Amino acid sequence: MRFQDAAPDARAIVYAGIQADPLVARAAALLADATYEERLLARAVMNGESTDAESWRIMFPSLFAAGSGNERAAAILDASLAVAERGEQVRSQFRGAIVEALTELLLRRGNPAAPPTAIRRERRILFDGVRAEIHPYDVTIEIDGAAAAVDCKWGARGISADVLHQLDDARTHAADDDERLRAVLVIFDSLRSCGVRLERQTAPQAGTEIVGLETLDDLAAPAS
Amino acid sequence: MPPVESSPAIPETIGAAIDDARDALETLVTLGEEVEDEWQYVQDLADAWRDRLDVVEADRSNDALLPEQGGAVQRVCAEAGLIEDPHRAIDWLSTFPQVVLAAIGERP
Repeated sequence: MRFQDAAPDARAIVYAGIQADPLVARAAALLADATYEERLLARAVMNGESTDAESWRIMFPSLFAAGSGNERAAAILDASLAVAERGEQVRSQFRGAIVEALTELLLRRGNPAAPPTAIRRERRILFDGVRAEIHPYDVTIEIDGAAAAVDCKWGARGISADVLHQLDDARTHAADDDERLRAVLVIFDSLRSCGVRLERQTAPQAGTEIVGLETLDDLAAPAS
Repeated sequence: MPPVESSPAIPETIGAAIDDARDALETLVTLGEEVEDEWQYVQDLADAWRDRLDVVEADRSNDALLPEQGGAVQRVCAEAGLIEDPHRAIDWLSTFPQVVLAAIGERP
């Protein structure tokens, strides 16, 4: 099993510009320290219609109670509105890039001793005698004995047979090579909604870890 | 911030809040059903969240809400009513109930 940079195509080059936007890093850094409810605020605002902060403050009274001084929630609201104010297509790309950047940040916390090159983005995984997948994985952990292939989705609707098959294929090919590879699907959505989406999928999913909005901090738990 | 026009009154109990949330959820369902490929997912998602709201209502229907909690439910129901895109409606079918539940002190 070996990891390789994905060959950049036109889509990837455009998307790389989004990934490098400072707003993505700012939002991801804020969300890495956030509570479930603060992350829910980000999800709602980035996919909402209203772009006035006061409406959102009213919708989340526990975060913005008078005198609460919740500076992180305020900063998350500000960053999320900056995403929401972009056009529909661009905001969709920003949301995806933010979930990927957040995932990378949390995985780095779970692997504090790992060098920067141990956790990468947009990488393919190659196995001898197996045709390589076209699509790279969003995030990979490239540590002997603790490797992982991670895909990231904004919402439960992004869970598809293709995504489940690709993750499971990587895991089983690794096992065929006597290597351990965790397959992880990170979804910035409620586990309840993920369960609904998964229930009607016939693609293999038992070997894939599902991480939802409520369990994102599991990514930062020390690797076992 | 002026009150949202044509919104229902601010709910004062959990039961009233859940009633308002159910109505808003149905509006999202109707819109989301326009995405034919996702019709079944829309039904499944709506059922799952209705079930969750039903549980909360059964446990706490008569519990009083703080004014800011009721105001939050009123506002998020109004926000759901602003959605016009069927694809965004599907995403909101998941987001909306979570915001309602958070507003009334419940987990998803």
